[in-house]
Amino acid sequence: MTWHVDAEDLRAYAQGELAPPLLWSADTHLTGCAECRGVLASVSEGVDAGWDRIDAELDAPRPGLWERLLVRAGVADHTARLLAATPVLRRSWLAAMVFLLVATVGVVYTADSPTAFLALAPLLPLAGVALAYGPVLDPTYEMAVVSPVHGFRLLMIRTVAVLVTGLGLNLLATLALPAYGLRALAWLLPALALTATGLALTPRLGQVLAPSLVGGVWIGLLAIARESGDGPLVQFTAAGQGAAAAVAALAAGLLFLARDRFDVFFSRSAV
Amino acid sequence: MTPTVSASGLSLHYGGTRALDDVSLRLTQGVTGLLGPNGAGKTTLLRVLATAVSADRGAFTVLGHDPGSAAGRQEVRRRLGYLPQTPGFHPDFTAFEFVDYVAILKELTDRTARHREVRRVLDEVDLADVRGKRIKKLSGGMRQRVALAASLVGDPGFLVLDEPTVGLDPEQRMRFRELIARAGEGRTVLLSTHQTEDVAMLCHRVLVMAAGTVRFDGTPAELTARAAGHVWNSAERDPGAKAGWRTGVGSFRNVGDPPPGADLVEPSLEDGYLLTLDGKGAEVATA
Repeated sequence: MTWHVDAEDLRAYAQGELAPPLLWSADTHLTGCAECRGVLASVSEGVDAGWDRIDAELDAPRPGLWERLLVRAGVADHTARLLAATPVLRRSWLAAMVFLLVATVGVVYTADSPTAFLALAPLLPLAGVALAYGPVLDPTYEMAVVSPVHGFRLLMIRTVAVLVTGLGLNLLATLALPAYGLRALAWLLPALALTATGLALTPRLGQVLAPSLVGGVWIGLLAIARESGDGPLVQFTAAGQGAAAAVAALAAGLLFLARDRFDVFFSRSAV
Repeated sequence: MTPTVSASGLSLHYGGTRALDDVSLRLTQGVTGLLGPNGAGKTTLLRVLATAVSADRGAFTVLGHDPGSAAGRQEVRRRLGYLPQTPGFHPDFTAFEFVDYVAILKELTDRTARHREVRRVLDEVDLADVRGKRIKKLSGGMRQRVALAASLVGDPGFLVLDEPTVGLDPEQRMRFRELIARAGEGRTVLLSTHQTEDVAMLCHRVLVMAAGTVRFDGTPAELTARAAGHVWNSAERDPGAKAGWRTGVGSFRNVGDPPPGADLVEPSLEDGYLLTLDGKGAEVATA
């Protein structure tokens, strides 16, 4: 053995207070190190709890990469497992988002206008969040909905994860458009407005119709704005951004009021 | 015996379709079978009792808790195990990870206690050896057992199983019946099935549903007895029978009102079920 578990960590381990990933390292190490097991026995009154933990961990499979990264980032292991089950955080979905964003950035450079990017970027978080929790893509939705964990809480956990991922990718794409300065960030408030509105409508309209309708209205409003003038589209002006912020706040309020509706099947059509 | 589940007047409509119509029932400890043709309302009833869907009218309690309020619903869910008709799995999860995920949904957040519970339920369905295998690599029977293990997390007092033996071969079905019988010891199990053999082998009580209503509520023996004097063999199909089919030995088995001098035979549970549905079997339509 080239290293040994720190005595303080062993004490925390025996008391059940050592958190992953240190916990995993200690588990693995203790199974092969008699010296540390001896120290563990000497430092701990609650040594049985430590062995109990080893016993419980012996056959637990190592979490996947995504889960391990989340835990290393400070997310509790049980929350990381809930997030790992989020359908749209899979590689295929993320790859599709990256592809779309790269293609759109290419269009921006070709057309010498950020409009295509600003129009598309809010739709990606909308779609991602809409499909993060519900019967359409989540194979365990029916089991989740009858669990004691409130559906709205699960929705919010996943929404935050998908938003952070989606907005993060959008931000990276924005960095590829330095010529447009802060204008290239004009997608952010519409993205929040569309996402919140889509979620607020989901219990009533369902997991597909609600975001489709919201996305359709967004595209329709952009088309109308384009027809009505040659300048920047109104949605990306100060007035448009203010309106987006107001819509986001209003929709967030409505979503909160409708939170209990996420605790049962979204719509009768899902039954 | 105090009922685990007590429901009265449950009704539910989807648009113009009456899925549940004034359903009342009381479930006690042991396995209760729920028989009925497609569209009878079995899955809807199970989903209502599992608190996945709210009824339009009526009320029920599970282990004394009323799911009509958010707090009551949560209490019911803490005591509920649910195996849906088509349990879904995250394809990249192992059996252990999937059951662990369900355990987290059941509020077991302490890692050590949760993993101990996951191992317990996987042992209970005899999947200890494959707990590290990815679910997509398991057979259909094993996947069903993983789903059953997930429903057993937290030792629920009320277990709802929606057609768990569908798609299993005869050996797997027998294996699964053993597990359900074991799960029914000391708790209340509501088992929806199309297999009358499941009911005959497992259940102390059976409900028959059609068109959103409960048409029969009694013991399997009482359901069988309903067909006494209404089952007969004949060389040709009897046009007066409510249902009739050719048996393996070539004669026809008929269910209904027998003609004078008919060759009456011992009824089975299936005969009683068919007679309860007026011989229409799987063709009974929803209202």
